[in-house]
Amino acid sequence: MGSGSQTDNALGAAGVALVRGPIDAAALLATVGDAAAGGNVVFVGTVRGLTAGRRTTSLTYDAHEPLALATLEALCREAIDRFGLAACRVRHRLGTVLPGEASVAIVASAPHRREAFAAAEWVMERIKCDVPIWKCEERPDGGREWAHPATTARPGGDA
Amino acid sequence: MHEDQTAAAPATLAIALFAGMAAAAGTRRLDLPWSGGTAADVRRLVAEALPALAALAARSGVAVADRYVTDDAPIAAGDDVALIPPVSGG
Repeated sequence: MGSGSQTDNALGAAGVALVRGPIDAAALLATVGDAAAGGNVVFVGTVRGLTAGRRTTSLTYDAHEPLALATLEALCREAIDRFGLAACRVRHRLGTVLPGEASVAIVASAPHRREAFAAAEWVMERIKCDVPIWKCEERPDGGREWAHPATTARPGGDA
Repeated sequence: MHEDQTAAAPATLAIALFAGMAAAAGTRRLDLPWSGGTAADVRRLVAEALPALAALAARSGVAVADRYVTDDAPIAAGDDVALIPPVSGG
């Protein structure tokens, strides 16, 4: 835990959100702006229609919404402290998302690019470990399967 | 919940399920008899009650009232408990 009010400013009123419509990454970037922040990284994760030769018709996301929001907010606060960010934003889709559409967007804003790149990657990695959001892969043959990756640590393992 | 009823009837624990666990169980909420225990006991209880969930339950985190808890956290009947299987956001 770091400087409280500075972290609050960097997280903003709508730092993290789970959304059921399209993610507008440009609009998300436009919510950050700090005279001292010269490095602004936007990461957009999109749904792959083809993974190692296998077709995906759509992904459907489920979440424990209040826990996901609380965990995302804690991640952003930690990223702000750890990387000295001026701002951090995350949007994640819920429901059904088609190939090519954005399923997640992260904005990391820092005085210099190195911290911004590192923070965006760190936040994405943490999302894939601890944030209670799951994808179900839907295939052309009608098959569908929830993804629960083989992991060594349980979600929230260091709670 | 009325106290006179909890004294008479066996206490139950409502456990929220998500994603592949909800699909395998055919429900997003399990109500299981609960005589007290820890978060780790919740995982074991679910695995025993629904063997189809055993593999995922063993790899799940436990949340109470929208916060992750550690394995040794005490769980009381009436707690808002969720099992969090390995996540796949992004």
